Amino acid sequence: MSELAIAIDGLVKRYGDRNVVDGISLGVPRASIFGFLGPNGSGKTTTIKMLCGLVAPTGGSARVFEHDVAREGDAVRRSIGYMAQGFALYGDLTVEENLEFYARAYGLGARSSARKDDVIGIVGIGAYRRYLAAHLSGGWQRRLALAAALIHDPALVFLDEPTAGIDPVARRDLWDLLFTLTSAGKTFFVTTHYMDEAERCASLAYILDGRLLASGSPDEIRALPAVTPAGCTRYRIAASDVMRTFRRVKALGAVRDATIFGRDIHAVADASLTASALAAGAEVDAASVTPIAPSLEDAFVALTRSRSAA
Amino acid sequence: MNGLVDFRGTGAVIYKELRQMLRSPITIGLAIVLPIMQMLLLGYAINTTVEHVPAAVLREDPGPGAQAFLDALTGSRTFDVVRRVRSRAELRESIVRGRVRIAFDIPPNFTADLLAGRTPAIGAFIDGSDSAIAQVAYGSAIALGGIPLRGLSEPPHAAYQVRPVVLFNPAMKSANFFVPGLIGLIMQNITIMLTALAIVGERERGTLDQLLVTPIGTAGLMLGKLIPYAMLSTIDFFVLLGALRFIFGVPIAGNVLLLTVLSIGFLMTALGLGLFISTVAQTQIQAQLMAIFILLPSVLLSGAVFERALMPLPMQIVSYAIPLTYFVEIQRGIIVRGAGAPELWNSIVPMLLYGAVIFVLASLRFARSTRA
Repeated sequence: MSELAIAIDGLVKRYGDRNVVDGISLGVPRASIFGFLGPNGSGKTTTIKMLCGLVAPTGGSARVFEHDVAREGDAVRRSIGYMAQGFALYGDLTVEENLEFYARAYGLGARSSARKDDVIGIVGIGAYRRYLAAHLSGGWQRRLALAAALIHDPALVFLDEPTAGIDPVARRDLWDLLFTLTSAGKTFFVTTHYMDEAERCASLAYILDGRLLASGSPDEIRALPAVTPAGCTRYRIAASDVMRTFRRVKALGAVRDATIFGRDIHAVADASLTASALAAGAEVDAASVTPIAPSLEDAFVALTRSRSAA
Repeated sequence: MNGLVDFRGTGAVIYKELRQMLRSPITIGLAIVLPIMQMLLLGYAINTTVEHVPAAVLREDPGPGAQAFLDALTGSRTFDVVRRVRSRAELRESIVRGRVRIAFDIPPNFTADLLAGRTPAIGAFIDGSDSAIAQVAYGSAIALGGIPLRGLSEPPHAAYQVRPVVLFNPAMKSANFFVPGLIGLIMQNITIMLTALAIVGERERGTLDQLLVTPIGTAGLMLGKLIPYAMLSTIDFFVLLGALRFIFGVPIAGNVLLLTVLSIGFLMTALGLGLFISTVAQTQIQAQLMAIFILLPSVLLSGAVFERALMPLPMQIVSYAIPLTYFVEIQRGIIVRGAGAPELWNSIVPMLLYGAVIFVLASLRFARSTRA
């Protein structure tokens, strides 16, 4: 048995004369959360749809639990769950009716009522069983969608922006739930734009314009040479007038890159520029400049810029 | 939002609306084409002048008197002799089949009686299904008796009469004409609309993808979508039939079971058209406009509301392309004239064929539209 839940090899999807997904190769380990990141329109949803057998690949191949997604669609569909972007359940059905429908769709038969109770218990939506799905809050709608995606007990679940548009508490609760489920052996393939969520993934892939830019654990990605080039140091500069300091920092020749984060500026500087020289150039006191490790956001910004520069 | 009489922003809202309108060419196209279509169809289809009523003639008398009557009949604008029959049974049948609305029977000794001054009578059997036509036909038939027959040497103004008999709907009640035709029309409209919206709604809400990752098959999805609406339409049919019988008091002359079976056959067409719309339309509004696009000609040209026999020939030809036309014929045939399957073959066969073809084509399109 392969260690991988998903093995993607040179996957391509062409629409017209544009490769929306352009030769992605990836391995997704079992029983973990895999974060699939990239800007909007970078090909994330198309990749997921190919992996779910909703869209036929133009080239390359992908195997989900050893089943080819293009040729063994039925076997793939039985082993995966899919939670689409946005709310894709029936608002005019109750929580229970939605789950009943999906239980029947997967042909669960006699097992269906036990599975319904199971998933209601897993996502903790028992109190809302008879509520219309449309009347649930965003966070509960996402939980219901997760319950529906889990109804046939799939080993792998694709979640396309599961936490978009829900409040921070509901977001954290949903992630805690995902962790509990991975310890029970489930694999999650998640897209997100939230960096704190990306930090929680066991491994990540970052794609841009349909191409894979980086993959690995969050630590591995932060350590990539493209993120902090050899000999460079990353500093945080606390500033009272952020815009003014930002312009000064940018103007320094040894500063490779600078980005504003709230009232701070993150700058990547050559070895030639010491912390005190940077403080002087930025016209802030030396205590305001501290060396930092790159955050994932720093990493993705750096990867995206190096890509567009190339 | 400020006061009621605050016109600020009118231009901005107009700009936005026009931009949005122009973004959907299908909608704007339909909004322009539909009124033109409506105007043409209504203008041509509604013809209250009763002319060219299709007529059959049984000529049992070879003599010149019969010929003179035929000439007079041909000369009238009211009737068009479209069939010559050889027996009374055939005469009756051509009315039951709905081929003609009036049938004249010239008796064997017509010329002899005419010449002997015995004032012979010609029978005129009128299909009372359409009360408007029947009433005009009734009057015109009697009036034919007053037209002098030309070409007879003597006596120059031999007297004869035409005795009209109304075969079905003898009271010539207009409900008996309209109501039977409406059942199919209403069933069709509701079925097309509901089916189209149900599937487009799934696409619009984004639930279709969520469905397609399940092991539900394409045919399973389609039948699962259609069967509930087919059931609903079947209930509609019985409700409408009950209303016809007990509210409008229209007697059902023919076999209710046959009517039921054929109605379910007709449903295929409506379901197929709904399915077809759902594969083309991206939004529910588009689906509604497209449904109107299909429904309008069938309302106006199928004969459900306006008598096809009175329409100009091009419109009559177009009406054969509309599935409802055949079903309206079938319904009137069974309910009003008591026709059975043998008399209605030439409507039953095209209707079922039409339904099957539309249904199969729509299913194939649907299958392609759900799998990328």
